[in-house]
Amino acid sequence: MTEQIIEEIVAVKVNEEHCSRCSICRSLCPFDAITRDAETGNIIVDVEKCQVCGICYSACPARAIDTIYYDHDSLISYLKKAKQEYGSQALVIMCKGSAPDFAEVEKLFGVSNFIPLSVPCVGRIADEIFLEAIEMGIGKIYVLACDEDYCRFERGSPLAGRRILALNLMLEQLGYGKETITLKRNSLKVKVDKDLCIACGNCVYYCPYHAPKLESEGGISVDLDACRGCGLCVVMCPAFALELENWERERISTLIPQLLAEMKPPKLLVFRCQWAFFPPLNGQLSPNIRFIDLPCAARVDPIHILDALQGGADGILVVACSEEDCKQEKAGGQAQRLVAKLKERLSQIGFEDRLHFCSVSPRYPGQVEEEIGQFSQRIKELSKGGGNDSNRTKASG
Amino acid sequence: MIVTELKPLDEILDSISPYSNILIAGCDGCTQPPRGIREASALSQLLELGGKQRGKDFKFKVTTVVKQCDSVLTASALKPQMEGVDAVLSLACGIGPQMVAELFPDIPVIPAQNTHFMGEEEREGGILEDRCTACGDCLLAFTGGICPITRCAKGLLNGACGGARDGKCEMDPERDCAWELIFERLERLGKLDRLKEYRPPRNYQAKAWRLTP
Repeated sequence: MTEQIIEEIVAVKVNEEHCSRCSICRSLCPFDAITRDAETGNIIVDVEKCQVCGICYSACPARAIDTIYYDHDSLISYLKKAKQEYGSQALVIMCKGSAPDFAEVEKLFGVSNFIPLSVPCVGRIADEIFLEAIEMGIGKIYVLACDEDYCRFERGSPLAGRRILALNLMLEQLGYGKETITLKRNSLKVKVDKDLCIACGNCVYYCPYHAPKLESEGGISVDLDACRGCGLCVVMCPAFALELENWERERISTLIPQLLAEMKPPKLLVFRCQWAFFPPLNGQLSPNIRFIDLPCAARVDPIHILDALQGGADGILVVACSEEDCKQEKAGGQAQRLVAKLKERLSQIGFEDRLHFCSVSPRYPGQVEEEIGQFSQRIKELSKGGGNDSNRTKASG
Repeated sequence: MIVTELKPLDEILDSISPYSNILIAGCDGCTQPPRGIREASALSQLLELGGKQRGKDFKFKVTTVVKQCDSVLTASALKPQMEGVDAVLSLACGIGPQMVAELFPDIPVIPAQNTHFMGEEEREGGILEDRCTACGDCLLAFTGGICPITRCAKGLLNGACGGARDGKCEMDPERDCAWELIFERLERLGKLDRLKEYRPPRNYQAKAWRLTP
């Protein structure tokens, strides 16, 4: 079954008839997933290596690469719709990796009403999207990219920088004035509350980037240049002394009841690593399912899973990347261990079937659909009269 | 550090079932992993869920103490929290609940942990191993830094016994023979002659139950 899906749907494909064999895609791919056949000159994508950043798609001069995420048509139709909806002529394109909430975006760019476009890596937005947006009547484009060394796709952020520089020069020559496109960079990193720190050293042990250090006078210091914002230290801190910008504990705790309130039972709440799969731009959400994005599965917090169960969620699905695909030095691998430990505790009170962990890749979009489908089915059955009800009978009897 | 393990949730739920307003007191001290405010919060959530399954509506407050074995720190951290509290659930090692009991003689206290031993942690494998029995008469200077009281199943002072096989203990084939480890270590240090020295039985009466350092 899985193999069949893999054959049918892959996220990136080369259309050989259109391909001019120029190899630009190959030179830009950060993951060496593209090669050129020595004999035929054909461009070959090694899907297993591909991380679906979309850089090749955005750079192909012959439009010979197809992708199913954020392709030209879906971006343009989104922009047309959103322009009406938001009634604005300012567009903010932001990378999911570095985008703070909309209030922060307002502050960063000094713009209040804007069309938001959140994408995994701004490096995947091609020249023509910028130009067509301007043609559509969008007068000003703001781009929020990750700091170059924070880019999850390594070359995406630097590429966006070069692209915007060139576009601005061209637009100026065409009489659009200076800096039609404004680029800013941002990174979301850890924050330490020194008053709460108990100097246990857990963060020092778990950080994959060796950013925190225990200080001789007590407490810790964090080398923010080294921090890559995975959030593992936050979850491992027993003292609530660490927070990750934009993914603060309180912020997610507030979001959970809001999402649960707008859902219909059986309610499935999905905590997903934002790199494990990409939601379609114009997709419709099922009333039974809501998603909470995480910077990496490492930030999945037992406190939030328990919040959701207490708030009436019927099922919690944690979606991570595989350890090999993890953008954060395998920090995401800890999520599986953490969820397993919590599941063991939940099994003691009859809730183990309500929590499920899976790892998927955006290169096979069928994977996540299958996982969500199967787990939805299971919680539907549980809610019909399995799990909780039998527990209730047991407890009262 | 002191190695503890959370009790089965059913047992905790049984223990707290006569009470409604419960203060969960974490301990930031030497338990491993630290059972501080995060552990206290997560436990309150689990017990609330478990309580609902049993038709019981517990009200939890959570707090943490720097070290529950310190009377001043425990008193100052818990006193302001005690109003309306029917019982305290302590996340500390076995010392914590006893301290709370002494400080608040009218409030029942319940341990949430089973306390196992004083151990060291091998982080990669996540394994915690018993290393000290707190015997009150440390021998480590003579035994190459390896404690036979703790690590030899028989607590022998003059080992090894005849039961070791391939460096493993006859009590448990997974367990290293402490005296073989001591032999190897002393050989490495060039101090094997120490093993010629006979160690007479110890006076266990000397083990202090109260000390004024």
